[in-house]
Amino acid sequence: MRVILKEKWFWYSILCVLCWGGWALLSKLGSTEIPAEGMQFLFTIGTLPVVLVLLVMRRFHCGESRKGIFLATLMGVLAGVGGLALFAAYRTQGNTSVITAVTALYPMITVGLAILFLRERLNRVQFVGLGCAAIAIVILSS
Amino acid sequence: MHVSSWIFFGVIVLVSWGIVGMLQKLSTNYLSAESALVWLVVGFLLMEPFLYPGRALFSYSARSLAWALGGGFLNALGAWALLAAMKSGGKASIVAPLTALYPLVVVLAAPLVLHESITRVQGAGVFFALAAVVLLSA
Repeated sequence: MRVILKEKWFWYSILCVLCWGGWALLSKLGSTEIPAEGMQFLFTIGTLPVVLVLLVMRRFHCGESRKGIFLATLMGVLAGVGGLALFAAYRTQGNTSVITAVTALYPMITVGLAILFLRERLNRVQFVGLGCAAIAIVILSS
Repeated sequence: MHVSSWIFFGVIVLVSWGIVGMLQKLSTNYLSAESALVWLVVGFLLMEPFLYPGRALFSYSARSLAWALGGGFLNALGAWALLAAMKSGGKASIVAPLTALYPLVVVLAAPLVLHESITRVQGAGVFFALAAVVLLSA
């Protein structure tokens, strides 16, 4: 344990968890007044300072491959659609912890798509994970 | 069986972010993770003209505007921290499941920040969801 606490990657991971947890909480707070479209609009503006610093650090070199650019931009559009739906979900009277936990289950879809389209195989741990996801969805959706 | 009203939106999140997860794998075959993050935000920006709320934007309280902008900032900072964790020698098989635990922050903070609590049954559901996310990310 002591060894892990000295590792940089561990603290970056904790920072990530805290930032994403904070993002979910602020999204709920903002969604009580602002509709989903406005939330996604403002969310995007909020991301810009971080991306600008990243761009400057990379000296504006981000175009290694056209195919990669297309896929990553498409990824942004789809992530935006998901963000819109998340803000809309937070705007309902649903419990924030429950909504956040259920929507965090998206790797379940990724794993399914990777099996279908990328011909990846499900390992035993992921198989158990899918079982847990199914139980969680049945409990939390009712 | 009664189905909660947010489930419809939840399914859209799951499907769209599920596809995002696969595109993340594919795009980083051609781009660095940092570049992919930059182009992801370009994708966000493409949607902005369709989302612009017009004059209504100026009618929202400063507090709500701050929550929305702060949410975007924290999300991007979190994504950057994830990249930094991977670059600092963190194994994806450990970092991915660890960072997938972010809903735990919401579960712990919601009673204080949002004055919301969860029932025992919901608590069991959240437990299974967190276990699923960790196992699926492994």
